[in-house]
Amino acid sequence: MSSVVATEAEVAELIVEALHLEVSPAEIDPEAPLFGEGLGLDSIDALEIALAVSKRYGFQLRSDDERNGQIFASLRNLSAHIDKNRVK
Amino acid sequence: MIWTRQKERGSIAALRLMAWIVTRLGYGFGYALLWPIALYFFLSSPRQRQAVRRFQRRALGREPGLRDIFRTFFVFSATLLDRLFLLGNRFQDYELKVFGLDLLNERIARGEGCILLGAHLGSFNAMHAVADTGCPVEVVALMHTQNATKSASFFAELDPRQAAAIIPLGQPDAMLRAKECLERGGLVGILADRTPGTGKVTRVPFLGDPAAFPLGPHILAGVLGAPVMIAFGVWTGRRRYEVHFEPFADRITIDRRDRQAQLELVATRYAARIEQVARRFPYNWFNFYDFWEEMDA
Repeated sequence: MSSVVATEAEVAELIVEALHLEVSPAEIDPEAPLFGEGLGLDSIDALEIALAVSKRYGFQLRSDDERNGQIFASLRNLSAHIDKNRVK
Repeated sequence: MIWTRQKERGSIAALRLMAWIVTRLGYGFGYALLWPIALYFFLSSPRQRQAVRRFQRRALGREPGLRDIFRTFFVFSATLLDRLFLLGNRFQDYELKVFGLDLLNERIARGEGCILLGAHLGSFNAMHAVADTGCPVEVVALMHTQNATKSASFFAELDPRQAAAIIPLGQPDAMLRAKECLERGGLVGILADRTPGTGKVTRVPFLGDPAAFPLGPHILAGVLGAPVMIAFGVWTGRRRYEVHFEPFADRITIDRRDRQAQLELVATRYAARIEQVARRFPYNWFNFYDFWEEMDA
């Protein structure tokens, strides 16, 4: 298993746990939009994900990052961003 | 929800005209024009009249007369006029009574920031006025902007500094911005009386009947863990406002278990407090839509 796919599975689990979602992590389509359509998350969910990410991976997702639209676009993008920036 | 679809009243041309009048011809002239302006809104908005009537019936505890209903339209127009006038920061011409400022300052001094829960009751500008006269920390407001885009862009054009203090809801990183503001010790304002089209909603008692209130603001407060106050500024007469800051919670804690029940409890407590304020200042209630979802389409 490549590291990106492994991270994806891990992040899917983290999202489900942080947001008390009633889907199983494997059911999250890595390429589907997380917000609005797709999984239908809102900006409070984004905040909870950001807090969970900083706790688990040791880096902050910040609002002044211009790529936020892209980072939060899908599980795949978010996982790739985490892979690049994680310090633990 | 209905209000997001409701057509924004008052064209940009009318706002521009009002802005021109208050800046060139003076406040007195603008104030005199409030009567025809309010009358125009009053006569041309039957649904809003109906909504105000249904609110007032509950808040006043009697059948409102046309005079009562008109008064809400008048007070609303007056806050709009002041909003234009205050863009020039001419607060010295106003009588502002501020209650609970010491309580707010106490929380600011702790450096944990503070969440200010507001409602569509009175004027946000009155609160800006307080912030502008010596608030040591930054102030931002989370707002739905899809409903009032026309006037929002108009005011943004007139006052870019104020526009920068608005965080539009709907972008994934909106709440991150709120979190970072609190981390810098700032104040984050949220209106907690209107539900967006999507999201988490509960029905809690309000003036005798269940009405929909959003859970989002309380979830946010729980996640961010900052102290929470209720804040509102009401119009009490020509160039007179009262601004109130009241403690609401040192911090809102939401356990994983019974999450929904705890959130509903907080929303119920918020609605109960707003109900008291709405009874005390009934003509400052600016939710011109079917709040109890009881009107025919």
